[in-house]
Amino acid sequence: MRRIATTASFAALLAAVASPATAAVNVVTTTEGLAAVVREVGGEWVKATALSRGIQDPHFVDANPSLAVKLRNADLLVDVGMDLEIGWLPPLVTQSRNPAIQPGGARRLTAASVVPPMDLPTGPVDRSQGDIHPAGNPHFLTDPRRVQLVAGAIAARLSEIDPASAPRYQERLQAFRAKVLAAEKGWKAELAPFAGRSVITQHKTLTYLLDWAGLKAAGFMEPKPGVAPPPSHVASLAATVKAAGVKGVLVENYYDRRSADQLRDLTGVKVIVIPGDVGGTKDASDWVSYLDVLVRSLVQAVQ
Amino acid sequence: MVNIVLLSLLAAQVVEPAASAPPPPSTAPDGAEPQPFPTGSYNVGTPGGIPVGKLMLMPEIAVVADGALGYTTLSTEQQELTAGPIPQHKAWPMLQEVELAFQATVDPYVRGDVFITFTPEGVEVEEAFLKTLSLPWGLQVKAGQIYSPFGRTSQLHRHQWTFVDQPLSMQRLVGAEGLSGAGGDLSWLSPLPWFAELHVAYQATSPGFAEDVKQLTGVARLIQYFDLTDEATLGVGLSWALFQAEAPEQWKNLAGADLYVKFRDPTSRSSLVLQGEVFGRQLGGQAFSEARWGGYGQAVWRVDRNWEVGARYDNAPAPVAFEGGTQEDWTALGTYYTSEFFRLRLQPSLVLLPGGQTGFQGLLSFEFTIGAHAAHPF
Repeated sequence: MRRIATTASFAALLAAVASPATAAVNVVTTTEGLAAVVREVGGEWVKATALSRGIQDPHFVDANPSLAVKLRNADLLVDVGMDLEIGWLPPLVTQSRNPAIQPGGARRLTAASVVPPMDLPTGPVDRSQGDIHPAGNPHFLTDPRRVQLVAGAIAARLSEIDPASAPRYQERLQAFRAKVLAAEKGWKAELAPFAGRSVITQHKTLTYLLDWAGLKAAGFMEPKPGVAPPPSHVASLAATVKAAGVKGVLVENYYDRRSADQLRDLTGVKVIVIPGDVGGTKDASDWVSYLDVLVRSLVQAVQ
Repeated sequence: MVNIVLLSLLAAQVVEPAASAPPPPSTAPDGAEPQPFPTGSYNVGTPGGIPVGKLMLMPEIAVVADGALGYTTLSTEQQELTAGPIPQHKAWPMLQEVELAFQATVDPYVRGDVFITFTPEGVEVEEAFLKTLSLPWGLQVKAGQIYSPFGRTSQLHRHQWTFVDQPLSMQRLVGAEGLSGAGGDLSWLSPLPWFAELHVAYQATSPGFAEDVKQLTGVARLIQYFDLTDEATLGVGLSWALFQAEAPEQWKNLAGADLYVKFRDPTSRSSLVLQGEVFGRQLGGQAFSEARWGGYGQAVWRVDRNWEVGARYDNAPAPVAFEGGTQEDWTALGTYYTSEFFRLRLQPSLVLLPGGQTGFQGLLSFEFTIGAHAAHPF
């Protein structure tokens, strides 16, 4: 009896030791959305940490030196790119003294390098156009098509860094792709009756999502990116609402919703507050749930 | 020649097909699978800078210009040992500074940063240094013309100052424009789970207002940051500078302690920063007990993306004419930001000099940045 108990506990101990907690790849990402995708692809073989939270505007994260400590030991840094993090990430990377995560380094992956961009500026590229992103719109992680490309790039880079687990990353990548494709069917079905309808958004954060969903942005609360809406602009949006039959305004929860509320008072449109990223609200706990919330919000905004 | 190439590349980008149509397939390396979604041909994913600029391997260039209208009731004598004194009782327009910044990675091992300032007093190299990127053991070397790793506010460039001017306690006890000079700064990021960085520097600096006299200086600083909560961070710094004093009126020892607390609402642009520093300076001919002390405390509230208000109390040695006395300044600040690249500041202050003398100063300043997007200071 005692021998069986000892053997059983010894076996349990062995099992605990042999489980893949040997050396989890330490992946640091700039946003929670990227961290969520890293977790999908990496599973228990990676430890994903995000430098910012889903409740924060990713343009205006503080370059807190404590974040440099997180970068110091990173085995891989994944950032969005297209200047989204240009206001805070570069000095943290230099401060971290981690040579491989410098731009172009072996342990640096910029998600924007593997996705085709939208909103490439075709007019003047200067700040009279507001807070312009000259390399394209960086808010592409709301797009089920592009998130698969990003997941593929993450799997490829993880396989380079941790070749022993490469087959597992490929397996998880296929599983994630299958999950997204299955969910897409449901989302497309929900959105199909509303194809071609218009919404208004606060900032140009939903370009890719609307493109995928077959919807349009009739206008933006911000007259130019990063510029707060003056009353004259809100008034002109009221005319747009009537002309385009807009029923809803989508505002991320880190923006001030006062101007959207003014538009609602003028025209009766619904103001729908959405999470800005995974983790932006309690129900957006992983990437698929985040898209669930966005699709539901879109459907609400066009009815 | 460079401009024509740049313009034709920009033109090529402008006549790209509309954003929703995928761009033509890029040439994939031999043997690689053709991508279902071709990637952009201008390396659009690289972080920072403009794609075409990176293609040309140009540094990031920025220009910051700072102008002000100043008014003071203080006399020249009462403004001695103050950077940027102005004529009494006049609304005096000034170009405070134009800073030119050139920043780039030199190679995988080193980056280079050069900052040139133009002021009414002339042209100066504010900083020009190399910084290593890949030393082992958490080390980093910054060498060239550098700000000494001393204190908190003395290391900041003008466009990083919250207030229109530096506290007088810093000007008179540390340096008119902070403490800087040619030399090197070796820093070590400790393996502790919080941010703890130790700096050791060796430079030739001109502390105080003695511009032409340089002293060999050794500086050490320990700076630590603790995240008290998700929304509050505490920074604690201790600094020491040791000078080779060849005359009794030259600096010998300088001690500094600084405290910084930031409360930041993550769901908005609002934040509250409390900051204070204490300086103690011993001259060559003095005993430790004769060291002069001074310091400041400030509170700055960033209300939202457009507005910021602040208040500062400054306790400094009084100007030369008030031998041994102490000066107190009470300063208020209101800032309006039209964007991250332009701010307008109004800064009135009440000056209390020894012997019951008082003065009033007002500064109205604008500052704009063109070119590369500078990182926001913490």
